[in-house]
Amino acid sequence: MPSAGIMTETFVSAAELMARVLGAEDYPFAVIEHPISSADQAALAARAERAAADCARLLLNADG
Amino acid sequence: MPLASRRYEVADMMAAQEFYHSRGWTDGLPVVPPTADAVEACLEWAGLAPDHLVGVEPVRACAITAEKLAVNAVMAGCLPMHFPVVVTAFTAMLQEPFLLHGATASTGGCAVLVVVNGPITADIGMDATFNALASSDRASTAIGRSLRLCLINLMDVRPGAIDRSVLGHPGKISYCLAEDEAGSEWLPLAEERGMPVGASCVTVMAAGAPRQLMNEWTTVPEEILDTFASEIRANMRHYSIWPGNYAIVVPPQLRAHFHAAGWSKADVRAYVFEKARILRSEWADCGKGAVVRDRGGSEYAALSAPEDLLVIAAGGPAGGFGAVIPPWLGPKSRAVTVAIGACVDCEIP
Repeated sequence: MPSAGIMTETFVSAAELMARVLGAEDYPFAVIEHPISSADQAALAARAERAAADCARLLLNADG
Repeated sequence: MPLASRRYEVADMMAAQEFYHSRGWTDGLPVVPPTADAVEACLEWAGLAPDHLVGVEPVRACAITAEKLAVNAVMAGCLPMHFPVVVTAFTAMLQEPFLLHGATASTGGCAVLVVVNGPITADIGMDATFNALASSDRASTAIGRSLRLCLINLMDVRPGAIDRSVLGHPGKISYCLAEDEAGSEWLPLAEERGMPVGASCVTVMAAGAPRQLMNEWTTVPEEILDTFASEIRANMRHYSIWPGNYAIVVPPQLRAHFHAAGWSKADVRAYVFEKARILRSEWADCGKGAVVRDRGGSEYAALSAPEDLLVIAAGGPAGGFGAVIPPWLGPKSRAVTVAIGACVDCEIP
């Protein structure tokens, strides 16, 4: 099933580690700024806009 | 069956310590070198083959064998007679409701609380009285530490690797206690949770740090429990509003008042279930008004059911203290109780 993961910057190393231990090294994912829980609507919208383009690329398998 | 683990030769005890530290195989404290003899002694005591599959960590499909647990138990300072508790605790941690990966990877920084019931506590020298929650005796400390070393070495639960805890708490070094069954008129925790009468059992809970309280100015059960419930409400206000397993530790001075009044653990749970509740609007009092929104009038209970409260009899004889041990994150992880050695091939209830 096509999927696209989104991580905040702070969790990039955790995502890379989990991908590695699950046998999917270099698994691509989108990255947004951290944190999101205290971000206001405008900041969230900006993150979403950035993530949307990355997710579209991931879903279209542009990273292979 | 021979051991499968790779063997290393070092010059002496100090070289062994530096070797382990350099590999990141310890929690920062010295370790007992897990010689083949020591590891085999643990396995023999528990009647387990080295390749006995204790369980599989579900997220990463990580197989946990008895040999690997024994290696880490020896490193933590366990004697062979401690090892059945280690195996049973890890068996419980691997049960799906415990959500081991989430509990050990979370930024929330919980630790695995281990409560041991039954005759094995006396057999291995666990002391449920003085200093019950930390460094009370050799067995408790070593068993608790062994679980942390297993997580580090078998599942890469290292700070900054799988373990993403922002703060953690000291219970991550060791968080294990026995229940003071001999000093209590209450049913043992494990028996209340459905285990056979008289069985030795282990209960594990993904737990935050203990929050100590004191009320020695009353003998009234309701008033004593109001203090416990108040501490639970404080956790709901300051940390997490979601319901989950809470544990309370009740030492002898307070227990005496419950016993005198004829209050059972079930009575305690029922009272706390009703009292440990807050309104969402209370979050506005402590800086969290942004998430109250239009739901300020919604009431949240700390416990989804009275049975979610783990009531533990433990502690030294003098002082009207007690402790509330909150859950890692609401209902995400559930406390699990498993009997020791009842049947190693049986399905866990």
